Amino acid sequence: MIRRFLKGRAARKLRRNKLAIASMAVISVYVFVALLGFVGVISQASTQERVLPDKTPGWLESKPVDDRAADAIWLADRIGARVERAREETDPEAVRRLLDEVSMAERSIIDAPFEEIEALYATVQAELDEMYEVFDEKDLAVDDIISSQLRIQRYRERDAERFADRIAEAEQTIAEAQARVPDLSVAAESELDDVEAALESLMPTPDGLRGAVYTLRTCLGSDNQGRSIMMKALFSVRIAFQIGFVVAIACVILGTALGAAGAFFAGWVDYGVMYLVSVLSSVPSLVLLAVIVYIFFGSPIFDNPAERPGLALVPVYAAMGLTFWVGTCRVIRGEVMKIKGLEYVQAATSIGFGRVYTLVKHVVPNTAHLMFINFALLFIGAIKSEVILSFLGLGVKGQPSWGRMISQGKDDVIIGFFWEVGAASVFMFGLVLAFNILTDALQDAFDPRHVD
Amino acid sequence: MPLVETQNLCTHFPVRGGVLNRVVGHVHAVNGVNLSIREGETVGVVGESGCGKSTLGKTLTRLIDPTSGVIAFDGDDITGFSHEELLPYRRRMQIIFQDPYSSLNPRMTVGAHIKEAVRKHNVVPAAEIDGYVDEMIKTVGLRPEVRERFPHEFSGGQRQRVGIARALCVKPDFVVADEPVSALDVSVQAQVLNLMTDLKDEFGLTMMFISHDLKVVEHFCDRILVMYLGFVVEEIPSDEIETNALHPYTQALLGANPIDDPDDRRPLTVLEGDVPSPFKLPKGCPFAGRCPKVMDRCRVDRPVLEEKSPAHRVACWAVE
Repeated sequence: MIRRFLKGRAARKLRRNKLAIASMAVISVYVFVALLGFVGVISQASTQERVLPDKTPGWLESKPVDDRAADAIWLADRIGARVERAREETDPEAVRRLLDEVSMAERSIIDAPFEEIEALYATVQAELDEMYEVFDEKDLAVDDIISSQLRIQRYRERDAERFADRIAEAEQTIAEAQARVPDLSVAAESELDDVEAALESLMPTPDGLRGAVYTLRTCLGSDNQGRSIMMKALFSVRIAFQIGFVVAIACVILGTALGAAGAFFAGWVDYGVMYLVSVLSSVPSLVLLAVIVYIFFGSPIFDNPAERPGLALVPVYAAMGLTFWVGTCRVIRGEVMKIKGLEYVQAATSIGFGRVYTLVKHVVPNTAHLMFINFALLFIGAIKSEVILSFLGLGVKGQPSWGRMISQGKDDVIIGFFWEVGAASVFMFGLVLAFNILTDALQDAFDPRHVD
Repeated sequence: MPLVETQNLCTHFPVRGGVLNRVVGHVHAVNGVNLSIREGETVGVVGESGCGKSTLGKTLTRLIDPTSGVIAFDGDDITGFSHEELLPYRRRMQIIFQDPYSSLNPRMTVGAHIKEAVRKHNVVPAAEIDGYVDEMIKTVGLRPEVRERFPHEFSGGQRQRVGIARALCVKPDFVVADEPVSALDVSVQAQVLNLMTDLKDEFGLTMMFISHDLKVVEHFCDRILVMYLGFVVEEIPSDEIETNALHPYTQALLGANPIDDPDDRRPLTVLEGDVPSPFKLPKGCPFAGRCPKVMDRCRVDRPVLEEKSPAHRVACWAVE
């Protein structure tokens, strides 16, 4: 069967379509990542770990000096607290355990005797003190500028003529301060570099294989809790595939069963199916999805996803599975109505086969091409809807997903931090686009009337 | 005793319309057909498109439910039989379809088509099925290797052979051939017809051969039924049809047949007008509107089949 397909016209047509080949390559990368997620190489724990200070931008973008300084101070404090407590410990293992608490992803405090670490920490503190001095000086200069400006403004409001010499004096101060600031900024930055270098020697960025992993995990920066955006986006591939597959398979089965039964048995079965279809398609689908999800979350079983992670996605499956089959049902119903009148179906009756056997053996297999295409359409449809639902806080809970990432990252976009929203959008865009192209190509390839 | 017999058989299809989807009328496809087919006989059914030939064939094989009347097969009234009750009769009557492109399931191999039918009726013991399938494929003139192939790999004539094999593999007594060659090329038509002639003798079949081609029917059948608008208007032995056809419609059909002799010129009766709508049957003779010999009586009284000579019956007031 497969060999026959690979030799067939459809496969040849598919192979000639370069865009289809490219989209298949993209999809296989996604499938690979999803598999890594399923086998646990990309674990959920890795999406919850701190890898960087909060809201660190990704590759090629760096934070402003002030934020970097704040991060350095935050990290130094983090180390300091552990070092402080480690001094009271005698057991070297307990000491090590304390120090490992500081670790961020693959970056951890060097494996050295405690004395050495203390010494390095002292260096960090010394560098920090130096940095504070320069920063204080810079702050003073900036303060001078601001307060002088305020003074000038006040003098001018009262009587500019009378206080002319005082204004001149203030302007003098501003000029002096402004002359100092650039130098101080450079000095501050170099002091900051020293601090960071000291921290680096205490907590070196890993190299080699671990370094590669660390680079991967930090390349898209971190979210507002310091978690790796890259890992969240990658783990979301698994969630997307999980939802896409379950929903698409459920909908194709449900839609085919109902549509085929309705068209084939006609009468009251058909009325019933079409009534359901009409009702479901007359309600705005997002509202319906929300309602079904609410019904599920009302029950205590689904209320706490952290306790039962296996059940966390059930409301999402149920909501989409109960609503998305409508389109498939309508398409299959039309096709079965057509097939029902064909002579090979009459031939089956003439041989004496029952209606159910005829439907299952002779009619439904001939709608396979529609099931195939509908599966692909439902797959991306489910992924897109998951994003919308999760954005509204109704979808995935307790696990990362693209929708949740967009939902969590949306507030930071206003302050110019687009990494989380951007990563989720780009990952989803790539998958949806590739699937759309592939679906189009499949449709062209399998359509016997299509001539290129 | 005739193998197949019908009494006043009618098949009407409801037509729905209006806002409430009520039945607003019926298409009268088959109207009051009485026929009896003896064992071993081949009966031809001719008539123009839409005259109810195929519906008659499908009603006889119980693919379409009759509206009224009786179908008797081998003496048993099978008109009201349920699916289970029909099962033994299903094996004994088969149908060969018109369109070889839609009569085979595109997702099943040739072998699977035959095997499925053989298995359903336990025609041969399970161990012998494969051999029997090969034999059946050979019988219809195909190579046994084709059993693993799918229908789209065959030409129209070859598919029709598969359709014949599927109908005959359950060893039926009665076969309805519903225009089996009208979708084929002329050269292929001859091959398939020859094959069917051979198989008819080999399997000892009783057949109903539906066609709109008078020549084919004449060549193939013992007796011919001429249908018009769902009515049988003439029943005539096939060797008499050239010389002794009495109904004006049969004569018109004969006149429309090309004659392969340029010197033989007969006056051509060209029918005027159209077939009346089967949705609303005319009160009198269905052919009255187009008949060259129409009389006043034809428009009010519907003629019934009357025996003019042995095995020759005509429904026409103009015939003495």
